[in-house]
Order: sequence, then C-alpha cells, then structure tokens
Amino acid sequence: MNRQPPVLQVEGLTKHFPVSGHKVVHAVDDVSFSVSRGKTLGLVGESGCGKSSCARTIIRIYEPTAGRILLDGEEISTLNQKQLLPYRKKMQMIFQDPYASLNARMTVHDIIAEPLRAHRVCSSRQEENEMVSDMLARVGLNKEHANRYAHEFSGGQRQRVGIARALILKPELVICDEPISALDVSIQAQVVNMLRHFQEELALTYLFIAHDLSMVRYVSDDVGVMYLGQLVEKCEADEIYRHPLHPYTVGLLSSIPVPNPRMAKAREKSGLEGDLPSPIDPPAGCRFHTRCPYATEQCRQEMPQLKEASSGHFVACHRIFNR
Amino acid sequence: MTEHTKWERVSGNEEEAERIYRKSRSFLGDVWFRFRHKPTALCGFILVLILLVFCLAGPFFTPYTYSEQNNKMASIPPLLTVYPGPEEGSYLYITQGMKLIEVDNEGNLVRQLKKKKDDNAQKRTSFVWDDDTLVYLDYSRLPNTVLDKEGNRIEVSQKKWNHTYLLGTDQLGRDILTRLMYGTRISLMVAFIAALVNMVIGIAYGGISGYLGGRTDTIMMRIVDIISTIPLTLYVILIKMCLDDGLLSIIIALSSVYWVDMARVVRGEMLSLKNQEFVLAARTIGSSTKTILLNHLIPNAMGPILVTVTMLIPSAIFMEAFMSFIGIGIAPPMASLGTMCNDATETLRTNPYQLFLPALVICVIMFAFNFVGDGLRDALDPKLKK
Amino acid sequence: MEHILEVQDLHTSFLTSSGEVKAVRGVSFTVEKGESIGIVGESGSGKSVTSLSVMQLLAGTGRIVGGSVKLNGRELVGLSAKEMRTIRGKEVAMIFQDPMTSLNPLIPVGEQVGEMLWSHDKALSKAEREARVVDLFQMVRIPEADKRLKSFPHEFSGGMRQRVMIAMALACKPDLLIADEPTTALDVSIQDQILKLMRSVQKEMGMSIMFITHDLGVVAELCSRVLVMYGGLIMEEANIFDIFEQPLHPYTMGLIASIPDLNQDKKKRLQPIIGSPPDMIHPPAGCPFAPRCPYACRICLEELPPVFRAGEGHSSRCWLLDEDAPSTGNPLKNRKEGQP
Repeated sequence: MNRQPPVLQVEGLTKHFPVSGHKVVHAVDDVSFSVSRGKTLGLVGESGCGKSSCARTIIRIYEPTAGRILLDGEEISTLNQKQLLPYRKKMQMIFQDPYASLNARMTVHDIIAEPLRAHRVCSSRQEENEMVSDMLARVGLNKEHANRYAHEFSGGQRQRVGIARALILKPELVICDEPISALDVSIQAQVVNMLRHFQEELALTYLFIAHDLSMVRYVSDDVGVMYLGQLVEKCEADEIYRHPLHPYTVGLLSSIPVPNPRMAKAREKSGLEGDLPSPIDPPAGCRFHTRCPYATEQCRQEMPQLKEASSGHFVACHRIFNR
Repeated sequence: MTEHTKWERVSGNEEEAERIYRKSRSFLGDVWFRFRHKPTALCGFILVLILLVFCLAGPFFTPYTYSEQNNKMASIPPLLTVYPGPEEGSYLYITQGMKLIEVDNEGNLVRQLKKKKDDNAQKRTSFVWDDDTLVYLDYSRLPNTVLDKEGNRIEVSQKKWNHTYLLGTDQLGRDILTRLMYGTRISLMVAFIAALVNMVIGIAYGGISGYLGGRTDTIMMRIVDIISTIPLTLYVILIKMCLDDGLLSIIIALSSVYWVDMARVVRGEMLSLKNQEFVLAARTIGSSTKTILLNHLIPNAMGPILVTVTMLIPSAIFMEAFMSFIGIGIAPPMASLGTMCNDATETLRTNPYQLFLPALVICVIMFAFNFVGDGLRDALDPKLKK
Repeated sequence: MEHILEVQDLHTSFLTSSGEVKAVRGVSFTVEKGESIGIVGESGSGKSVTSLSVMQLLAGTGRIVGGSVKLNGRELVGLSAKEMRTIRGKEVAMIFQDPMTSLNPLIPVGEQVGEMLWSHDKALSKAEREARVVDLFQMVRIPEADKRLKSFPHEFSGGMRQRVMIAMALACKPDLLIADEPTTALDVSIQDQILKLMRSVQKEMGMSIMFITHDLGVVAELCSRVLVMYGGLIMEEANIFDIFEQPLHPYTMGLIASIPDLNQDKKKRLQPIIGSPPDMIHPPAGCPFAPRCPYACRICLEELPPVFRAGEGHSSRCWLLDEDAPSTGNPLKNRKEGQP
C-alpha cells in the first residue's frame, strides 16, 4: 500500500557512552521505530531515559554504537560527517534551552541565515535577506528584530528564532528535543501551535521529544515511551492516554498534575515511587522492575520484548502477555 | 481620552505584544557599559591612554633625543640645591663632579663655569664667573658650598626645580624625561607585539586542541606541560642569548614562551563551549569546522582571551625590563625602562632619582594594565562577581 | 484568622546596565496560619522576587524600594543581616528550584542539616542532632535515612536532593515555608512525589506554605488560595476553586486555556496567550497585560486598573470589572450576571 519509505526509520539503535573505569552508560539500547511523512512521533520519558541521546544519535551529533538510521530510505548511520552534509539539509533540530541554543554574539539575522550560508543556498545577499525576513515573519517576528541579539528576546521569542533556524532550509525531518520544557505554560501553547501549523504547511515530519506527556498528545500521532534507554510502549497517541498498558506509562500519566482543584483533591493518585536507576548498571530483566508495583520473579530475570498487544499497540511487559 | 473613547476596543495587537523596548545593544556595547561604570577599570584605562600619549606624542615636544649626550650636564637632578651667585637673580649649582653651574631665576641651567684654580690648602676651587669676577667653591667641610664676596661660606641654600631637564639627566647627561618616553614606547611596543603574537599562537593551539579533543588534545597538552615545566625566565634568557641583540629578538623570545597560558585558557573555553547547544546546533546545521571555530567558539571565548591578554601585557613588560636590567635586553643607546634602571644602579646612592623614575613608570604601567584586565574580567563576565 | 505574613505595597527593583528593573511594583497580600498559598506567574512576573524580598535574600543590585513585610507581626524590611539570620530558618525557611546550588558539595548532607539545627539551638549535642536529622530524613521519606547521613549531595538524585532541602527547611519548624518553584527542574513523576510529600508534611507540622510556580496544575494539587502575578503586580487573588471555575482576569483565563487537557480532543488547537511578557525596565503605563489581552480597551493601555473586589476574598485588577465597562463582548460582565 504505502510504497514510500518512512521519512525516518530507526532499527536497533544503540548508543553507549564509555565512562571512567571501563564502564559504559547504556543511554540508548536497541530502539526501533519509524515515522512516516507528515506524521509526528512523540518520545517521552523521565530525564535520563535516553530520549535526548536518541535524538542526538539520529542527527549524528553522537556516533551510534550499533543499529541503522534510515532517512528517506537511505542509510545515514555509516556516513562520515562530510558525506552527511547533503542529508543535514533534510533533517534539522530544535533544541531545548532557548538561552543556550542561540549564540549570544550573533544577531538574529545571522543565526537564521547560518543554515543558508552553510549550504550555500543563496546566491546574493539580497536573496538571503529576503529569505530571512520571510522566515521571521512566519514565526511572528519582524524585520526590526533581525538586527538584535538573542539575549534581548524573551524565552518564547528565542525559541521561535530556533524554529526559524531549523525550518529555513525546508527540511523533511525536524527533531524537536524538548522544545517547550524550558518555557512558561502560556508560551508553550504558542510554540506547540506554531509547530503544528508548520507541519501542515510544509508537510514536516517530527520526532518530538518531551518529558511532559500532556503536551506531547497535542502534537503527536504516535507516542513512544522510553525507560532507561529502551522503548517500553508505543502506540497511537490517543490510545496511550485511554489505555496505557505498561505500568510505567500508567505511573507517568497519573503523575501529571491535574489543573482542576476539585478533581486533584478528590483523586487518590498512584504515581511512581522511587528514582530512575543508574544507566551505567541497569537492572537485569525488565529494567522497570525496581519501581514496578507488579514485579514478579520473571520480571527480575527475563527482559521483556516489545510485542504487539493489540492492533498497533506495542508494549514490553511480561504482565500484559501473561494475562 | 474622553469618556467616549475610554472603552473603545483596542484589538489584540500582535506587533505591540512582540515589541522589544530595550535599546539594542551589542555584546561589546554591554561590556563597555559595565567597564566604564567600574572606577578602577576606567582609571586604569585612562592611565593607559595617558601612557600612550606620553610615549607616542611626547617625543615631539622635547628638544632632546634619547641618545644625545651632554657630559657637562651629567647627573643633574630634577630638584636643584642652589646658592646665590654674584649677580642678582643668578644662582650656582654644585655638581657631583665639583663643578659649578649657573642657574637662572626660572631654574634654567645657563652654563658650566670654567675652573680656574684648585687650592688644596684652603680646600676651595675658584671658577671664572666673568672677566673680573671669580666664584669660589668651598669643600673644607660638608656640605660643600659657595663663598660669598666677603669669602664667607653661604650656609643657606635654596631649592629650585630644574627647568632645562624637567626630570634631570642621567650620568651621561641625557634627558631622563625624553628617555622615559622612548623607553615606555619600546616597552609597550614589545609588550603589545608579544601579547598579540601570544594571542594568535595561543588561540590557534588551544583552539585546535580543545575543539578536536581526544588523543590530539592529550598530546598537544602534554607538550604544553613540558614547555611550562621549564622556568620561563630561564627559557627567555636562553633564547635571547642565541639571538642577536635588538628589539626583534626580544619580541621573538617573549612571544615564543607566553602563549602557553593562553593556549590553556583557550582550550578550557573550547572544551566547555563545544558541548553547548548553540555549537551542537551549528553542527546539525552542517556548518563547517571553520565557521564553528570562527563564528561560534572563538567569539564566545573572547572574554577570557581578552582578560588573559591584558594580564599578559604587564608580565611581558616586566620580563622585557628584567632582561634589559640584567643586560641582555635592548642594546644601547636605545632606551628601555629596564636599561634605564640598569644604568641607574651604578649611581644609586648618589642619584636615586635615576632609578626611581623608570621604576615608577613600570609600576604605573603594571597598575594600569592590571586594573584594565580586572575591569575587563568583571565586565565580560558579570556572573563572576556574585 | 492569624496572619503569619503580611506584605504591604512591596516595591522591589534591580539596577542593571540597561536601567532600573521594577520587578515588584506594589504587592500586598497576607498568609494565614496553616494555609498554603500559591503564587502563579510566568518568568519575569516578579513572583520569585517577591519571595526573595520576604526572605531579604535579594542578590546583587536588588533593593526593596518601598513597602513593608511583616512576619508574625514583626517588620522585616530594614532588619540587619544578623537579625535576619536568626529569623531565617526558625520562623521562615525557603526551598529553591535548584537544590544543587543551595547545598554545599563538600559537606555530607547529614552534617549540613545538623548545622542548621545547631545554628538555632546551640545546646544540642552531636548525638541529639544526628537523631533529629534521621527523624527529619524519615519525615521527608529518604530511604535508609540513617545510612544517607554521610552521603554527599552529588550522590543524590535531583528529587532526593530536593527532599534534603525540604528536611533542612523543616529542621527548625518554621511558621512559613517558601517554596520557589521546587519542582520545576524535576520530572513529572518526581514532582508528583515532592508535592505529595509537601502536602503530608504540612498536615503533620501545620505550617503555612507559600508556593511559587508557573504551573497552575501544580497549584491545583497543593494550594487553597492563589495569587496570579503579572508584570510585578497581583492581577487576581481568589481561592483555588474560584480561580479555576470563575476567573475574573483575562490573563488567568488565558493561563487556564493554555493548559493542555488530557480529556480534550487533540485535533483542537491549544489557546495560547499571544505575544511576550513586558519588559520591566519600561513597564507599560496601563495594565501590564493589555498589549497581550484580547479584550483590551483604550483605558487599559493608558491607566493602571485598580483592584476590584468581587466577592469573598476574590479580587482582580481588570478594567472590565469597572461599573462603566460595556457589557458587550465583556467576558467578565456576562458571567457575573449569569452567576449572581
């Protein structure tokens, strides 16, 4: 049916960081997923679960330890940085911290024009100016802002500059690495709406990374939940909120503060107990068993595989399949 | 605003909501603002400007050159002890060589009197004032003095500022003020060029080492470690010995050593900057290594680099002065602050001003640059103060 | 009721290279005994500066320009640093967003909490102190409390560090606990744990809590009364139910609308508040929210609205509540008529 390859396909992606004492941090362990054109995959999980490492490995800031990354059906995980250059035009990234991700010594114009210059898109200064001011207008800023420095902007405005920089090359895949986590609530909605608007307009494909399950739902078609470097549940976005299967997903969902005082006070929440274990020495068996209220001997010994529980709903949990 | 228009709806104005009211100010503008609001920094900056004017423009306003000698006027201090001469408004100054010099009312040195006869028995020397007048210098007991017309010792002396040589002369009769100007000029020039060369080498070396990281970084930094285990002073002296005398060799000696600190600073900055999100962003964009280094890393490391450079200038000046002082610096008759100090040590007891003046200028330069460096550090990194 | 804290017309400013930042421009509120009050606002609204002014912990060029802060009836503005030290910890304690910066990395956490106890009660012996610290650690649910006394801050996770901070703040049983975004840097799961902990601790010790956050959802979980701050002013004050059910300020309404609702249709767009917060070096002459307000009138841009009272403990700074305000297209008027 669908002959076009997915824009992004990740197979068995693994990223280990060596640390002192010949140990390794298991940042990403055997993660596979794919995102088709115009769709959004949300990746959620607590900080330290490897979602950002996953993003950075896909965009090849980090070298993958194992696994394949296919962009538009073409393998990019084995290319060197020079060979990668044409593919960089197709995939861009939006960063988390709107303060750290913009160079404080550059004007907004130079920041947005950097991708154009790196790929020699514009033949003249005038063409560059036109493209930059057009992009600025589309993110709700104007020409007057172009010659200012990033530190003069508010957090939301900076993040929009970051979006403009990522989108000016009209990429196919945009990796959003927690683009809203550092913003105020009122501004988060602005940015999310803007991202959705651009997706419709430019048929963008997003890999949207967040620790905030509530916002992810608004942007994602599919949601993947990561825990300690592994994908533990993956399904259609609405499904995961209606029928979460993995106990970790259930815990995460019930941790979201409820913006309704009557419900918040009435509800007895389960929530998640304890902290994320160290990714240097992840627990054997199911990595979640140390915090799982249903953990059995099997969970402690045997690592569960990601399997389809119902149509399109994948989960890695012994409990689901033993019932 | 009338009662009528008061409730007029002003629809949500996007333009207004996004407006930035703050005056646009570049990074450098911001630094300059903080810099000039710090009194010590501003004071240091003004001192540097004064020093620059002093050494660059000064020589145009003095009638002397740095090498012009006047043996008759050797070792004349800036403040003269004079005795009344035979004529109204004329004074006599006794030099260290037991000569008499006529000084006029304003403190100008008019001439050296010709010696006529030395009377060893009476311990007095006679000098020709004019055709029919003699003046006598009495050295029977200290202090030496001049005799008046009746032949009595004039015990009362006067102080007069030297108007011909404002800061006096050295033992070869060269004007100290003029030599200070040239000396400061040479010292600053050596320091500036050395600092600049150090900066370039340091940025290149530290930048490459820090940006590439890994094994390259380890090897490059071990080399730096080895260089820095050799005492720099010794090293500079050795280099200097191998080369000829002169300005160029001193600059080479200084520049080839001090970049080590700079390289360390730049490398440290690179290591912390290269993992910042804006650098990662540049990499995901596909910017070339050159762009990343020149547009992202180095401009952001410029703060610590500038501070290190301004702190390097005084140490280069000091090093140059030190080498000249021990006699392997600038070749005579060129003046540098160090050679001036060196020359002055021989007559330190009798003419302390000859050492004091160049030493004072060295102090002022060090102070000025240290203040500027300190102010720059605060201005470039306002977080540091908290 | 008994006022623990009474803030009257507080003005706080910072001097920066670009001019005077008027971070707090006349804030008045009280905190009652045993109550938990939430201060909500986005970054730059002055909510953190208000709490730092209460603690007299303003950094750098920050200065209280006017107004008064009374804790247990005692004026804090103008107290010497030494007098303030005896009050801090004992009567009012504070926890911060980043616990790492408030803990000394070189001293074991048990010792740091013990130090806090010691500084307010020098008669305590070392053994007594240690026992108290273990008690405190158990109270904030640090697992294996007696074994963690000798641990250093970097051996703890973010959530555990925040628990240590809470233990330290509770060490001397303060009357008022100020929590400045204590959960913002944490994951939702850990945030949830910390909120639960704060609720149970408050129940146990009966102190007042001043909870500062930008997240209305968090407030709903913990607080009984809410102050909404914007542009250095309190825009609305009400109990927690009124804030969510009948907000009387367009900013509060905007905040509520921009929270994603898990039950809402995902195809629907979120309703953001347009624009960016005002620059507090040049605060707008009128209502600070007017440039972003969908209902702004001319008067909003030109004149600062006074505080309108609207029922029991509910007040709002919005011109739309003025008697003369037109009722057409006025979201506040229509509702008031609908709900007498």
